[in-house]
Amino acid sequence: MTKPDSHSSDHVYESISFHAMGGPCELKLYAPTRGAVQAAADAAIAEVQRIEKSYSRYRDDSIISAINNAAGKNFTAVDEETAALLDYAHAAFEQSDGLFDITSGVLRGAWDFKSGVLPSQKRVSALRQKVGWQKVEWRPPNIRLQQAGMELDFGGFGKEYAADAAARVCKEQGIEHGLVELGGDIHVIGPHPDGSPWRVGLRDPREPEKAIHIISVRQGGLASSGDYERFMVVEGRRYCHILNPTTGWPVTEALAAVSVLAPLCLIAGTGATVAMLKGEQRGQEWLAALGLPHMWVTSTGELGGSLVAAGR
Amino acid sequence: MDNNKKAQSSALLALTGAALALPGIAGKAHAAAPVSEPVLSYHATRYSEARLDSDKHLGGDSERYEIDTHQLGFASAIGKQTDIQLDLMVESMSGASPWYVQPGANNEPVQAMSGASIKEERVDLQSRFNRFVNTETVASLVLGYSDEDDYSAANIGFEFEKTLPQNQLTVTAGMGYSDDELEPTQGTTAVSVTSAEKDSLSAFVGLGFILNARTAVQTSLSITDQEGFLSDPYKLAYIASLANPLVSDNRPNDRRQWVWLTKFRHYVPSVNAAVHADYRYFDDDWDIESHTLELGWYQNLGNTLRVDSVLRYYSQTAAYFYAPFYLSPRSDGLASSDYRLSPYGALSLRLRVVKSLGPWQLSAQWEGYEAKASHSLKKVDVESPGLVEFNTFSIGFDRVF
Repeated sequence: MTKPDSHSSDHVYESISFHAMGGPCELKLYAPTRGAVQAAADAAIAEVQRIEKSYSRYRDDSIISAINNAAGKNFTAVDEETAALLDYAHAAFEQSDGLFDITSGVLRGAWDFKSGVLPSQKRVSALRQKVGWQKVEWRPPNIRLQQAGMELDFGGFGKEYAADAAARVCKEQGIEHGLVELGGDIHVIGPHPDGSPWRVGLRDPREPEKAIHIISVRQGGLASSGDYERFMVVEGRRYCHILNPTTGWPVTEALAAVSVLAPLCLIAGTGATVAMLKGEQRGQEWLAALGLPHMWVTSTGELGGSLVAAGR
Repeated sequence: MDNNKKAQSSALLALTGAALALPGIAGKAHAAAPVSEPVLSYHATRYSEARLDSDKHLGGDSERYEIDTHQLGFASAIGKQTDIQLDLMVESMSGASPWYVQPGANNEPVQAMSGASIKEERVDLQSRFNRFVNTETVASLVLGYSDEDDYSAANIGFEFEKTLPQNQLTVTAGMGYSDDELEPTQGTTAVSVTSAEKDSLSAFVGLGFILNARTAVQTSLSITDQEGFLSDPYKLAYIASLANPLVSDNRPNDRRQWVWLTKFRHYVPSVNAAVHADYRYFDDDWDIESHTLELGWYQNLGNTLRVDSVLRYYSQTAAYFYAPFYLSPRSDGLASSDYRLSPYGALSLRLRVVKSLGPWQLSAQWEGYEAKASHSLKKVDVESPGLVEFNTFSIGFDRVF
């Protein structure tokens, strides 16, 4: 990502780094005064921390833990925000033909990508029994996971939602120029004060420290997904962290990387994740049909998608 | 492919629709913001006091107060950072009220009621302007005016609210001033003054904590100083040693009141209900000390129906100058036999049904209240014969536009 080190006369620019949502995060904001930048940053970071606290599966006091702890037992009533997130997850499950599934997190129990060892089919099958949004009784505002051991995990969209929410908070604080980045998921609030777009580099899936393509973004959400984040190679075959909820196994014959641009980072993220889960051919079709600006990289390094064609 | 494209574009529509309902994106969550849609509400209430027992009253009319209240409310945003709330209330009161207490045949206190001629109307308009300085700060101005035949009052208040999102903490503070003018009507009962004034100045501070997604606690402390004519011009007191034993109700010209209020709210997901528990402690320099405990169970039945059951217990001690009647005058000249200054306890039960129908919210409520000396925490030697028992019934609606 490019980093402007100058600022126009009537704007102060600051880049603020912090750690949240399990990764490095950054706010790049322009405002009339340093105090205004700081106030917006404080409010945005608080919003990210609020969402992280509410939806972390690692916190015993989160609503997610309450729902998961009641799995196989009773209904849990949820607040308005959680209900809206569950509705979103339900819509994404339906629109992706069951591939975007917030109950698939339990499968991680079988897959240790640091071990270099494949799990037994028996273990995978056992965990797959605990997966399936269709096994969730969602009767707003009450939710119940039918089987003990089932778990909800908002990791598949919580970070994207937090990026959108943090951008909204910045806008409410009067910020018109800047962006929010949470561990690679971006929401651009608005272009640089001179109107020029932010230049964002998209990772090369085989050399993740390098950009394979640079795009210009003036506003909206940008999210990427790829097989490079966590993976292992066993007997010459690549097994990545993107697990297909219907098989319990990592996606095969998938695209290597996908980036999607959308009005919201949340939608960009869902678009990219589903494209990865659909596999190379159907993933490209899904992206083309979705109608959002996008870019994909195949496992052989071929680049495509509307963002590349447009030469952005 | 065309069909596929159509189907997938509907995927984008479905995702966008779901995403825009998210409070973090739409900006509804945890952000102080003006009301987004205008709301109109109307509630009608009938308050009826029970007749006094025949052995407790003397002459006059035993039919006590009836009050019909109509409340009309309107709230709307004005621009992006301000909203306004207007509440108009019209009350019509009729019936007899306690006038004085005198000793009966066995020195038991007996209530004399005023004639039934009291028929009054009160109009009260309260307005509130909330200025949302940012998503965490609200500054409010309150202006109000109340008018009836013999009484008018104007009030002004300033309030400030600040939310500290990291700590899930809300701090509030405010001040209020009210100027009341009294011009008692010369009716069937003699009155002690022809005009009088009262000023009230109050201040409060409050803290609200969100303990977790289901539990919230609020606590506040307020102080009110009243000065001026605090007596009741329509009431008399009975002093046995005087040749003419009926004297005007006469109370101190100032009063300082303290209130500490704590509210607890907890949502119980397993039964889809909320528990409300409120405690109020009141203390003033007239020696009245009171405790109020209110316990409520708010039960949701499905998504559109709620039934609230609230039980309230109240107990107070008497004002230092109160007596049901006096054998001889007090050295400070004070005298009042108003049952509201007597020692007593009270129990009330409130039941409410609230039904949502699209933009409408309909409600119906009943409350039964009974005050008795035997409900008091401390033993009461002589019960005021004027203590009330009443029922209220109200129906109303809220409509969002």
